Amino acid sequence: MKALHKGAPLLALMTAVMIASPGLAQDTGRITKEPLELTIHFHFRDKYVYSEKWPVERKAAEITNIHVRNVASLATTSSRDAFNLLIASGDLPDIVGGDATGGLKEDFIRYGLEGAFIPLGDLIEKHAPHLKAFFDSHPEIRNAISGPDGKFYFIPYVPDGKFSRGWFIRQDWLDKLGLKRPETPEEIHEVLKAFRDKDPNGNGVKDEVPYFAREEVDAVRLINLWDARVSGSERYGDFAVYDGKLRHPWAEENYKTGISHVAQWYKEGLIDKEIFTRGARSREYLLGNNLGGMTHDWFASTSTYNDALSPKIKGFALKPMLPPKTASGDRFEDARRLRVQPVGWAISATNEHPVETIKYFDFWFSEQGRILSNFGVEGLTYEMVDGKPQFKKEVLESKDPVNAQLWAIGAQVPRGFWMTYEYERQWTNKIALEGIDMYEKCNCLKDEFMGVSLNAEEKAVFDRYWPSILTYMTEMQQTWVLGAQDINTGWGAYKKRLTDLGYDKVIETMQAAYDRQYKVAQ
Amino acid sequence: MKHNLRESLHDFWEDLRRDWQLYLLLAPTVIWFALFLYKPMYGLLIAFKDFSIFRGIEGSAWVGFANFAELFQNDMFVRAFWNTITISGLGLIFAFPVPIILALMFNEVQSAAARRWAQTVVYLPHFISVVIVAGIVINFLSPSTGVVNLLLKGLGFEPVYFLTQPEWFRPVFIGSSIWKEAGFESIVYLAAIAGVSPTLYESARVDGASRWQMMWRITLPCILPTIIIMLIIRIGNLVEVGFEYIILLYRPSTYETADVVSTFIYRTGLQGTQYDLATAAGLFNAVIAFVLVYSANRISRKVSSTSLW
Repeated sequence: MKALHKGAPLLALMTAVMIASPGLAQDTGRITKEPLELTIHFHFRDKYVYSEKWPVERKAAEITNIHVRNVASLATTSSRDAFNLLIASGDLPDIVGGDATGGLKEDFIRYGLEGAFIPLGDLIEKHAPHLKAFFDSHPEIRNAISGPDGKFYFIPYVPDGKFSRGWFIRQDWLDKLGLKRPETPEEIHEVLKAFRDKDPNGNGVKDEVPYFAREEVDAVRLINLWDARVSGSERYGDFAVYDGKLRHPWAEENYKTGISHVAQWYKEGLIDKEIFTRGARSREYLLGNNLGGMTHDWFASTSTYNDALSPKIKGFALKPMLPPKTASGDRFEDARRLRVQPVGWAISATNEHPVETIKYFDFWFSEQGRILSNFGVEGLTYEMVDGKPQFKKEVLESKDPVNAQLWAIGAQVPRGFWMTYEYERQWTNKIALEGIDMYEKCNCLKDEFMGVSLNAEEKAVFDRYWPSILTYMTEMQQTWVLGAQDINTGWGAYKKRLTDLGYDKVIETMQAAYDRQYKVAQ
Repeated sequence: MKHNLRESLHDFWEDLRRDWQLYLLLAPTVIWFALFLYKPMYGLLIAFKDFSIFRGIEGSAWVGFANFAELFQNDMFVRAFWNTITISGLGLIFAFPVPIILALMFNEVQSAAARRWAQTVVYLPHFISVVIVAGIVINFLSPSTGVVNLLLKGLGFEPVYFLTQPEWFRPVFIGSSIWKEAGFESIVYLAAIAGVSPTLYESARVDGASRWQMMWRITLPCILPTIIIMLIIRIGNLVEVGFEYIILLYRPSTYETADVVSTFIYRTGLQGTQYDLATAAGLFNAVIAFVLVYSANRISRKVSSTSLW
């Protein structure tokens, strides 16, 4: 490490970087004359910590002259515990970052308000041109990460790309049964019944599982067909925005219609009998054994089953399809990739170099910082082709997933950075890309609820009422789908119980916070 | 007074020197208690505070009984509390006698080899992690491929989706807990049975007592103190149901019967990082447990003259 600090090798690398990014000749990225060491607590995905050995960190240190040193312990297998222990110790390093179960956004804001982290607005204004440009062009992200005081305390990991999940159907089964792609709730019903009865897998046993899903959020996804929404965001059971008004999708009238149909289909055996217990491996099991017919899941990973299973199952074709038209003739996709992740990094109040630190954060939003954080190190993981980074062949063809290879060298880790979809596109399966393209043209994505920051009083109201309400709603959802109670008879009592549990108070509180956060700074 | 203190200190020192090996053996437990049970008691303060981990226990503001008020106004907590009592109560009725019966049965097995084999078979599940036990239970009860449902189908019944039906949760939970723990818990009673003086049996045999009579009149009364101590301990744990196993088995659709205080604490307290509320719930639990143990002990001392203290 030390040798790199001085003289020739550094200079040579600097020159290489300058050549690599034309137009940025004066933007060398150098922040300090003398090497500066900053400490960081950065524990993520429950098992990784920031490492000075990462090629990406070494490269960043060469460019910026800022060396980041990790203080997080690898001995902890929970990023949440690591973060909480750090805060409880009160002895914060210069930078705190990473991720944790449930995200760190609320923690950054809460402890920022209590004085653990400094607000970044002024620093960015004065010292961080790239971050300033980014937030100026993305005011909704600035709003989404702001605290109830209107300030923001961390730089988030900003994902790119709009689409996360979509509908998939066994095209070869449709062809075999002579059916066309279903377009309406009725047609979906017919297709699922055909999957159930007409033995599309041809083994002579009625063992097909027409609709299945891997995650809770997709288990009741079929309610979309009756215009009901599963969630307002990627988070299961989140609030949603209806024309500027915040409500919960599970308290809407169309939810009642949706669930009553889904319950009926469940009873008819069109939905996996074990949908709530089969869990994360259901996709692998049901597709691998040629049983599952239709699902709603991630584009990229679901498409790869086509390659994996075609040698084993003749003609296997699991194709993405557009969201079907709803009962009211609308067409929408409920699931959207988060626009901002509730993770990233923040500057501690005890940091003696806030200016250098914000400049360092700014570096990751510059051209070369973005390439470095998205694609890794030139020559190691990517080459420049026509002025654009292109992953090397051995990276794309390795048996390890590309993202895992990048994590290992310190790229695509949850620091405050701006992802570029190009990174993912380069290793996304062709079928998935076709699907995403189709959804892009459809332009039928529902807008996402990006969360609100509650002040102390609002939080007291939320904490008092909301956990019970959410528990109750989840419980009733499954009760209805499994047929233990008929939603049409139980709906009145359900709505009344929600009111008794404080639903209106929570909505009122959330709405106030939402208005404060998103309406003012338009 | 001062003299007394010095004297007793002196006595203690003498004891220590004489029996230092015994005290050494005791030390790890004492240290464990001090470090992991007494020291954290200081943290119970946060049940009465608006706790922030950054401000620390000292720095957080006092809120009196606000956290407790919030708990008791919460329907879900009240339901979880009654569920805890119900699950433990049913466990007491159904699961408590099983190890005793097992121990008595082992005692009656004549062939030593057969007894060792049977004991090993019933101990084994104790050493399987709850995660695996939950996996086994889920697979056994699966509506499409589970052994239990295949059997039901074979007998002409409709398959039952056990794990999503509230009325089945308690039988499944208690039944599988018995399978897992009964064998291991029987060890205590076996040890007690081994301690019964053989002369009692010999004289009974001379008087022509049957094996049934010997079990009923000698073995059971002799191990009764052990049974009562175990019962008191069990009653003390009445308000505690381990959350790991419940979390692995419950679903939102079975919350109605499955949600217990510890899972409530886990969900709202830890996942929602409301440590103060979680501590209040835990403290409330502990107070109830204390009252239960105290009363059980008193009753037992009055009725059977066996007691913990």
